[in-house]
Amino acid sequence: MRWFGFGFNAFGQIRVQEKSGRGESSSAPHQVKVTHPAELSCHVDKSGCCLKTSQIRVSWSRRASLHLDGDSCLNLAGFGESVSSEDCDRIETWDLQKREKSPSWSMDIKTHAEGSDVNLPLVPGGYIALKTPLYCTLPGHLKARSLALGAEHAVLLTATGAVYSWGLGSHGQLGHGLLTSEEEPRVVEALWGMPMTRVATGGWHSACISDGGDLYVWGWNESGQLGLPSRGLRKSQQKSSQQTGELCYDTSTPADEKLKEEEEHEDVFISIQAFPALLDVSPSCEIQTVSCGSRHTAAVTTTGDLYTWGWGEYGQLGHQTVTSSDEPQRVEFFRAEQMRVLDVVCGTWNTFAAAVKEEVACAENSTKCTC
Amino acid sequence: MENLKITTFSSMASLWSKISPVLPANEDQFPLQFSDKVELSVVEMLQRSRKQLYSDITSSSRLLNAQIILDISWEKLNTGTWRHVDKEWRRVYSYGCFFKVAALCCESPSEDKILEAVRTCDMGLIMGAAIMGDILQVIVRILQSHIRTLNSTKEEDESERAEVKRIKIESPLVSAIKEELAVPRIRCPSLESFKTNYLLPLKPVILEGIIDHWPAFNKHPWSIEYLRSVAGCRTVPVEVGSRYTDEDWSQTLLTVNEFIDRYILNKDGVKALGYLAQHQLFDQIPELKDDIRLPDYCCLGEGDEEDITVNAWFGPGGTVSPLHQDPQQNFLAQVVGSKYIRLYSPEDTGKLYPHQSQLLHNTSQVEVENPDAERFPEFAKAPYLECVLQPGDVLFIPVLHWHYVRSLELSFSVSFWWS
Repeated sequence: MRWFGFGFNAFGQIRVQEKSGRGESSSAPHQVKVTHPAELSCHVDKSGCCLKTSQIRVSWSRRASLHLDGDSCLNLAGFGESVSSEDCDRIETWDLQKREKSPSWSMDIKTHAEGSDVNLPLVPGGYIALKTPLYCTLPGHLKARSLALGAEHAVLLTATGAVYSWGLGSHGQLGHGLLTSEEEPRVVEALWGMPMTRVATGGWHSACISDGGDLYVWGWNESGQLGLPSRGLRKSQQKSSQQTGELCYDTSTPADEKLKEEEEHEDVFISIQAFPALLDVSPSCEIQTVSCGSRHTAAVTTTGDLYTWGWGEYGQLGHQTVTSSDEPQRVEFFRAEQMRVLDVVCGTWNTFAAAVKEEVACAENSTKCTC
Repeated sequence: MENLKITTFSSMASLWSKISPVLPANEDQFPLQFSDKVELSVVEMLQRSRKQLYSDITSSSRLLNAQIILDISWEKLNTGTWRHVDKEWRRVYSYGCFFKVAALCCESPSEDKILEAVRTCDMGLIMGAAIMGDILQVIVRILQSHIRTLNSTKEEDESERAEVKRIKIESPLVSAIKEELAVPRIRCPSLESFKTNYLLPLKPVILEGIIDHWPAFNKHPWSIEYLRSVAGCRTVPVEVGSRYTDEDWSQTLLTVNEFIDRYILNKDGVKALGYLAQHQLFDQIPELKDDIRLPDYCCLGEGDEEDITVNAWFGPGGTVSPLHQDPQQNFLAQVVGSKYIRLYSPEDTGKLYPHQSQLLHNTSQVEVENPDAERFPEFAKAPYLECVLQPGDVLFIPVLHWHYVRSLELSFSVSFWWS
């Protein structure tokens, strides 16, 4: 399985700039926007073996890769130095800002004991938050299966497929039909009765997948991250086409009248979707995985295609442009390379996809990796 | 032709020579200090931009880096409630604006790039927090004066003057005020008599003659042309929609020129109402601040002069502020045009049906000039005072007094909130 990344790369978290041939220290700046999907270089261990990357997590300035074969290890790419870790049967949180030699929080876990399944950020009894207090408890009756944390909200999936949300709600990201906050987990009633299999959160939006492969989205749509018509997006696209017009020495400035006319003939725009809405990503397509960046969304279909939509100014949509889109579009790169996408993980302003060559996928059909 | 080219080139090239003296002399003299609320990765970006400022890196590379700072701080500014946004992130946003402006102005910019730089300064002034001795304010002044020298040959628009005249003639006639309900008027009262008769008993009154000395009436009479010349290219927040309690009400950012064209002169046939309302315009544009004065009567309050909030209210006829109350004393000074205003005492709050929600609990649900008698039966029984505020009038709205305002024609008011 090979990992590809595209989007924000100002810290080299996708791809480090090639050193100049003269062997000078690489003061060459990283290519800020990686618009063409770049394969992540594999991590080589002490014995020279190329390690498989089994999991990736991404923040604004870093990428963490987990390698489980051989001596399992964690590697960091991007801002600051790499951190290596040893085997342990503990969960640890490290504050990379403070560069301390010991974790800021830790918890021992009994491996193979019942109920010890760790699905970060869920840990026994609660979850690990993005800021202090690091450890937050969760009511036991919820039977949490997975948890997604956004900038200011959280979405929880229970063992029975119910979805709960809490946190700030001013952009409709909680899905309760309101713009108010919730201090405690509250069930998303609009989804009640439909078991969900995955939940994801972005900066101000949320998504989940039903067991039938339907994708639901809610929250802020200012950059089209919900895949619904976005007025803010159309307006800024018109503005930038005006500016490019000027760069081409076009002396006629499009009048405001034209803009207004176009707006009045458009359909209804949605800037905030406070209740979950069903999103038709592509005709007759089942969605397998979804991940959200701060203002964009990426989804993988059961047929191995990757679709992206939302904010794209850093190339994070993977369509080899720096434009945003309020309509889901397939990332053609993988089809062109005859690759089948298996997983997607979004960072704040970038996207990482795991893919295999189509023949490999066919051969491994029965033993397909689902991580 | 040759001479013209040279003159133009030199006036453009000199923009950077006007800006670079106000920048720190070098990297060492350019501190970048932030609390640990700002992640080190973001500080790294700021340091990169600072380094670029003193190198000969291209404008486009600088713009790219500045945009990263703007994008990440914009996301922080939109996280949580505005009140709780850490001031450090607003500072970072201002630094982003600063680096963007420097990038726009460093390579003999066209007039459009200069206007974009002005817009960027305004975004920093409106959304950010002051940095480097309020450098964005310093730079925007330089940019505005530079634009003026570029445009000094432009003729005044004859057709526009005729347009403004037409609007004045077509305005609706002054509403008839019932004598027994009129807000009392008094001319230049002494501080003592104002305090005794109106401030302490919290009684509304219109003060006449107390702003006649404002340059806004004398040296720089406020008009559309004057506002364009002093603030035309500046970006301001505008409220669009009939009133802020409506569902289709929204806020947008426009330049003063765009606001005047679209919502005052209706140049593109737009039907909606636009109101430059409740904006601290005078902090943003010091030239306008020089045209007004703080009313002397504000010294009767307990608060500091620095704590007085001065807001501009500029819009066409028909703008409405729904019936609401404010937590401070208010002097509402009318400079251009006229407004119909109705006042209700806080004692009668029970008959005014305030909204229940936390957001709108200071606003009445009742449409004052078209009340729904079935939903709000007690409203008709609430006693009130009314007036038409004319240029030169200052209305004293006592703290927590309910007030409803509708402009009768093109209007510009200035409010002073004091304690």
